[in-house]
Amino acid sequence: MVRPLARIAAVQFGFALSVAAILARAAQLQLMQGDRWAEQAQRQRTERVVLPARRGALYDRNGVPLAVSQEFYHIGIAPNELANPRSTGQLLSRQLGVPWPTLQQELRSKRWIYFNGPFTATQVERLRRLDGIHLTREFQRFYPSKTLARPIIGGLSPDGPAGAAGLELALDSILTGQPGEAVLLKDRAGRRYDSPARVIREPVPGDDVVLTIDAELQEIAERGLEEALRAMNAAGGDVVFLDPTNGQLLALASHQSGTRGAGVPRASTFTDPFEPGSTAKLFTAAALLMHRRVGPNDAVFAEGGSWRMPITSSGRVRIISDAHKTAGNLTLARTIQVSSNIGMAKFSSRLSPEEQFEMLRDFGFGTLTGAEFPSESRGRLARPDKWQPKYTRASMAMGYELGVTPVQLAAAYGAIANDGLLLTPTLVREIRSPSGDLLYKHEPEPVRRVVTPKIAAQLREFLKGAVGEGGTGEEAQLVNYTLLGKTGTAVRFEGGRYIRGEYTASFAALFPADHPQLIVIVKIDNPQGNYYGGLTAAPVTRTMLQQALASRRVAIDRSRLTVQDNGVRGESGPAPSAVSMARIVLSWPYVAADVKVTPLPVPEVAGQSVREAALALHRRGFRVNLRGLGRVSRTAPPGGEPALPGTAVTVWAE
Amino acid sequence: MILWLLIFLGGALAVVARQTAALRTARRLHDLREERSNLEARRADLERRIRLASSRQVLVPVAERSLGLHQPADSEFVLFVVPAPVTAGQDRP
Repeated sequence: MVRPLARIAAVQFGFALSVAAILARAAQLQLMQGDRWAEQAQRQRTERVVLPARRGALYDRNGVPLAVSQEFYHIGIAPNELANPRSTGQLLSRQLGVPWPTLQQELRSKRWIYFNGPFTATQVERLRRLDGIHLTREFQRFYPSKTLARPIIGGLSPDGPAGAAGLELALDSILTGQPGEAVLLKDRAGRRYDSPARVIREPVPGDDVVLTIDAELQEIAERGLEEALRAMNAAGGDVVFLDPTNGQLLALASHQSGTRGAGVPRASTFTDPFEPGSTAKLFTAAALLMHRRVGPNDAVFAEGGSWRMPITSSGRVRIISDAHKTAGNLTLARTIQVSSNIGMAKFSSRLSPEEQFEMLRDFGFGTLTGAEFPSESRGRLARPDKWQPKYTRASMAMGYELGVTPVQLAAAYGAIANDGLLLTPTLVREIRSPSGDLLYKHEPEPVRRVVTPKIAAQLREFLKGAVGEGGTGEEAQLVNYTLLGKTGTAVRFEGGRYIRGEYTASFAALFPADHPQLIVIVKIDNPQGNYYGGLTAAPVTRTMLQQALASRRVAIDRSRLTVQDNGVRGESGPAPSAVSMARIVLSWPYVAADVKVTPLPVPEVAGQSVREAALALHRRGFRVNLRGLGRVSRTAPPGGEPALPGTAVTVWAE
Repeated sequence: MILWLLIFLGGALAVVARQTAALRTARRLHDLREERSNLEARRADLERRIRLASSRQVLVPVAERSLGLHQPADSEFVLFVVPAPVTAGQDRP
């Protein structure tokens, strides 16, 4: 029999061995394999997710949202998890707009039902708390006005959040944010919980872009163009509004046959060159003046409206005719006024092809304008060595054998309005960070001085004649304001050939006549009936300008307009018509003459709710521009700084 | 020994309480995010409807049909000229 002491020693040894084994195993798990097991435990308890970043928004120049990113949802349904399939199913049917019998059938027969949607947060609001309903959130692009400026804005790729066309593509790197990363906690049932401490990297939203587009003017242009195309049964058309003082494109409307009412039209203002016809005569006139090949009294014989122009020494001729037959001689000014092809063809013979080419090139034809649009066309301007001698020179002078986009034409007319200085047209006015900080502000970008201010003034005088009495663009003229302009009518050139009986009518306008604030280009493809630019595009221009003037929201400096126009009429413009109304000039907001308006300190509202802040600012007579919701973080002008009542105070809240 | 047990229990209770509070806060945060998302969606929808309702596409036909109005020619309206903004320290004319 073994002695008790020995047994105790054996038991003790056994215990010690067990403890040693446990310690050894613990050491193996903790010290040698610790990292691996910790990682596995972490994986079971947590889940790493990508936090999508909000894509920057696109606004018009007045802050009207044109494209914003919004949370949308896809819905997955697990029928076996539904607590009450019938009532939940009926709720789903109502919220998602799915017929109840269809949904009922699917709930019975499938283990998983997926609705891609995407559905808005409002649509899924009542579904969030229900068992068996699984929501997948993602940011999607939302265009508050589905059609407004869509050819220019473009869209996103169907495969992902990247820009695919238009400004969405051109500004993609600015608009796209940086996705964040977070770790979510999971419970035993696999339910996920947000935890603020587990965000590894916050998503950085993309920057917001304020465009130069004026939503109101854009709507005027789109509506005006659509009505005109319908009335004229035309194949398509374009409208461009440009501010010649800074190159900012204010409105761009495009329509092509087959897209009216359905689908998004092409941004043909940028992409489709056309032969401008007589609207391009001014550029050859500019070359003639720059090279001093014509004096104010120089004239050419009008040939009674039809001229057999010799093009070779062997006697081959080209017949050039004028729509507006003119007797006697034509000066250059009169040639532009009546839009004489014969006059321009004869005057252009005083230029070498190189001189004519260089002037057209200097006005920006045949090259990209530099505007932020991804698929802009260069247009068509052949090198002089490719020209057919005499023939092409005359064609170019009449606006043929030359392809220009409406935006190029607007920029070129902008140079004439801007004393000869060609500016890069732009669509981007400002770029702001998500917190509202200004990152970029557009400044006019001069390309080159094309003509001297004196010659630009002479060209504007020619344009005054073209829309004056006896000019081809008379129909564009307003009653109370004067504009400058030039009509164009060209045989349509498509697929490498001219189409007999089809025309492109166009009109280029500078408004108002003195210190122009707007360049308007209207182009109409293949209008039926009257096809002359002066009878089609010119009246459309007038109607759109009248609407722009009557609108309170279109950015026209009306004070400058009135003062300048009074001066014009007083000197050389037409007398006010019988129907014109008296001008009444009031200061607004109205202040009695003896009341002095003094600056007031902007109230300190940081830390207050936006409601309280807005109330405080309104009480002091300030206007409020709100950026964000929640508590106010800062204002511009900052609190305490003096500002005049009526000043817009921008309030940033988080 | 009892003291150690009490310290252990106290520590364990503190951890549980802290975890519970954290989870409650996380749920609240989640709810607030959902609410903000709902409100933003509603705001976007309202903005879209306001934009549509105040667009020329809707207003002009209604004004023409119901009120007998028409788009004015430039001879049919009067501009009230707004003077240039007054700079600080300068009296309004």
